[in-house]
Amino acid sequence: MAMGLPRLVAVSLTLALVSFFPPLPISLAGEIASIESVPDLQKLMYVAVDGYPCVRLLNLSGQIGCSNPGLSKVVAPIIKLKDVKDLVLPHTVLVTADEMEDFFTRVSNDLSFASKIGGVLIESGSSFQQKLKGLSPDKMFPQAQFSPYGNVDYKWNPTASSIMWKAYNFPVYLLSESGISAVQTFLSKKEMKHKTYTSDVAEFNMVMETTKAGTHNSEACLQEGTCLPLGGYSVWSALPPINVSSSNNRKPIVLTVTSMDSASFFRDKSFGADSPISGLVALLGAVDALSRVEGFSNLKKQLVFLVLTGETWGYLGSRRFLHELDLHSDAVTGLSDALIETVLEIGSVGKGLSGGINTFIAHKTRVSSATNMTLDALKIAQDSFASKNIKILSADKTNPGIPPSSMMAFMKKNPQTSAVVLEDFDTKFVNKFYHSHLDDLSNINSSSVVAAASVVARTLYILASDSKDSSNSALGSIHVNASFVEELLACLLSCEPGLSCNLVKDYISPTNTCPGNYAGVIIGEPSSKPYLGSVGDVSRFLWNILAEKTSVQKGNTTSSCSKGTCSKTDELCIKAESNKEGTCVVSTTRYVPAYSTRLKYADGAWTILPQNTSDAMGMVDPVWTESNWNTIGVQVYRVQHSAYDNAVLVAGIIVTTLAYIGIMVAKSFITKALKQD
Amino acid sequence: MTVAAGIGYALLALGPSLSLFVSVISRKPFLILTLLSSTLVWLVSLIVLSGLWRPFLPLKANVVWPYALLVLSSVCFQEALRFLFWKLYMRLEDVLDSFADRISRPRLFLTDKLQIALAGGLGHGVAHAVFFCLSLLTPAFGPATFYVDRCSKVPFFLISAIIALAFVTIHTFSMVIAFEGYAKGNRVDQVIVPVIHLSAGMLTLVNFASEGCMIGVPLLYLVASLTLLHCGKMVWQRLIESRNQSGSTLR
Repeated sequence: MAMGLPRLVAVSLTLALVSFFPPLPISLAGEIASIESVPDLQKLMYVAVDGYPCVRLLNLSGQIGCSNPGLSKVVAPIIKLKDVKDLVLPHTVLVTADEMEDFFTRVSNDLSFASKIGGVLIESGSSFQQKLKGLSPDKMFPQAQFSPYGNVDYKWNPTASSIMWKAYNFPVYLLSESGISAVQTFLSKKEMKHKTYTSDVAEFNMVMETTKAGTHNSEACLQEGTCLPLGGYSVWSALPPINVSSSNNRKPIVLTVTSMDSASFFRDKSFGADSPISGLVALLGAVDALSRVEGFSNLKKQLVFLVLTGETWGYLGSRRFLHELDLHSDAVTGLSDALIETVLEIGSVGKGLSGGINTFIAHKTRVSSATNMTLDALKIAQDSFASKNIKILSADKTNPGIPPSSMMAFMKKNPQTSAVVLEDFDTKFVNKFYHSHLDDLSNINSSSVVAAASVVARTLYILASDSKDSSNSALGSIHVNASFVEELLACLLSCEPGLSCNLVKDYISPTNTCPGNYAGVIIGEPSSKPYLGSVGDVSRFLWNILAEKTSVQKGNTTSSCSKGTCSKTDELCIKAESNKEGTCVVSTTRYVPAYSTRLKYADGAWTILPQNTSDAMGMVDPVWTESNWNTIGVQVYRVQHSAYDNAVLVAGIIVTTLAYIGIMVAKSFITKALKQD
Repeated sequence: MTVAAGIGYALLALGPSLSLFVSVISRKPFLILTLLSSTLVWLVSLIVLSGLWRPFLPLKANVVWPYALLVLSSVCFQEALRFLFWKLYMRLEDVLDSFADRISRPRLFLTDKLQIALAGGLGHGVAHAVFFCLSLLTPAFGPATFYVDRCSKVPFFLISAIIALAFVTIHTFSMVIAFEGYAKGNRVDQVIVPVIHLSAGMLTLVNFASEGCMIGVPLLYLVASLTLLHCGKMVWQRLIESRNQSGSTLR
């Protein structure tokens, strides 16, 4: 007892010394990520990675795109592409954007290499964009089967790799900027740990319903309901508004066409800045300029603007529009095929600027009086600019015909179509990032788009007034608002501000901030007065803005509307979203559904119609559909090798057993001690 | 880290408690009751402490003294509660002894009293392990593992389980020491229990340093072994005493 106290004091002093002194000189290294709850811990353990997936698309003969190979998540250790040598198990490969095309080409050609791939993460940061000269996953002649001329081997897009049209049996995910930094931070931590016990894995949750259901082409999956057809809603508008009731005295129509959809290897990252959004923005700039011109109803011709969607996937918009014209349906009331005198398509016009001059090339479908008139009008418009920085050239005679564009579909339907396609290229695409995720705002020049809008606005005025005299006073007053064009480009081609920009929010309440210019699937029953929840943000925005710009004021009063209906039949209720009260305007602006002419919607399901020889384009239409899915996500985490896990279990059992033995020994000791007498 | 590892960590932290329960506590229903009520009391004490400290949380991550204050206040509170717990037990002991007298049964033996103290201590240990280790163990049953930057050699769950095991040992046996110390009025035993509790708590602050867990955890086990040794020595002495006493009364 007496010995206990000094010993106690000694022990406690030592312990106190040990406890209090070390924390002082040792600096608290590093930052603690404060874990305040179990969900916080789980968030640190399972790092969610942000990005854009490549999804499964199907056609009549098979499928393309990417998907998890089975019904479960794919978990595979992460490895850089350059380290892929002798692998036994499938791994997650980190591929940079400049290695992407070669990688996928190799996967398609080399089966043994493909079997080692469990999943792919693509790093496409800004550092790689400088290295890349071009990346185009599309074909060398996109949609060649729809060309109205025979030379389908002509290389409009010579640097193309065709990788987006092949099927891959593993998930592919494009990392966003935040995703790249999350993965890099995670992998860098590994340097500190024992590499032998742990491995960093990526878990892909990209199970496609068509894989689950075993439906591997459009017909089967539409029957099972595991996919939906691609499509959307095209928008057309007339300037000035067409008086539907007076069916006679209809003026001949000058139709201006552009498209609003693009595509890329990754469904949600396809801005399509040059191809085709630059054309769409040029059209909107021209419409805005023309809306400020007085006396349009006195002009000889009727202007109609048409923005098509689904063009990337078999010219769905064009084909359905032409079909509706044949049917004289509600969607195209006021238009008729016979009235369309000439067509002007605005293709990619974002890369025309070179050496201070904006050069555009006019490709004509055939030689006719109508196309000559358009070309003359373009020349007059070009000359009307004081700054002389716009040049319109005719396409090279050695071209086999018009470049891939909606006019190919128009020509195939009616070879007598007189049309001119305005592009920023002549014999081959200048857009080296055609249909890739890198065709973004940095790939185009806004002044080229403004120039295109200006020349188109003046050309359309000349065509509508049908006068050869270049009366510069009227023409000279047509000016495109450059800041309007720049704002539109920022809204439609970037994520900040994206569709949350003030211009778009003035007309609609967008469901997404990032504009995904991918056509997407058509939801619900297609109709000319669709349920607005099924119509995409860009289509709704175009309908509202075109309705406003092409409207005429009846008197000085504007009435407001709610619930989307106006009292007068020729009036439309615009800007009526997000519980705001809309405005009634007199305008002719309609939605036209865009979907394959081979499809029919009946009783809540889609069926594929048999081939019809009268529908030549339907015969070569692949009938694209997109698989449904539940969730898509990727996370990375660290796993221990199973030997370690089993060792921990064994250690736990051993500790428990040893403790039991120790207690039994102590018990017998005590019992013996008590019994001793 | 999969189900196997999750079960392994749970067994590491609470396996010896389970063995103790099966071999000693489960034989006598009264001990099971003592264990359960003790676990409840100590869980409530931890909840009260977290409630008291809630307005000051979260503490600044890079400064040590708030954490030292947290540990100090918690240890003081729990030691005060331990004394109250013992007082309650004494009253219960009187009730049980008078009941035994009434029905002409023998009173509580020394071993009975030691076992009750052990059950009380085990309750304290289990409460600590549940609060500080088991509640965080759910993610360990999933596929991923986790390493903390400041203790990068060992997975977080393993260190957590090992520390919990040390504390279970410390709490279980220091309750035995404390009860005997309060009952016999032995100053050494009365003081050594708070000192052990406090030094164990302070030693966990060593884990704040980079790779500090490599030093802190072995030292913690040193404290745990000291507790075990002291308890063993004390129990042995009591048993010898009581045997001599019963022997002398018999003669």
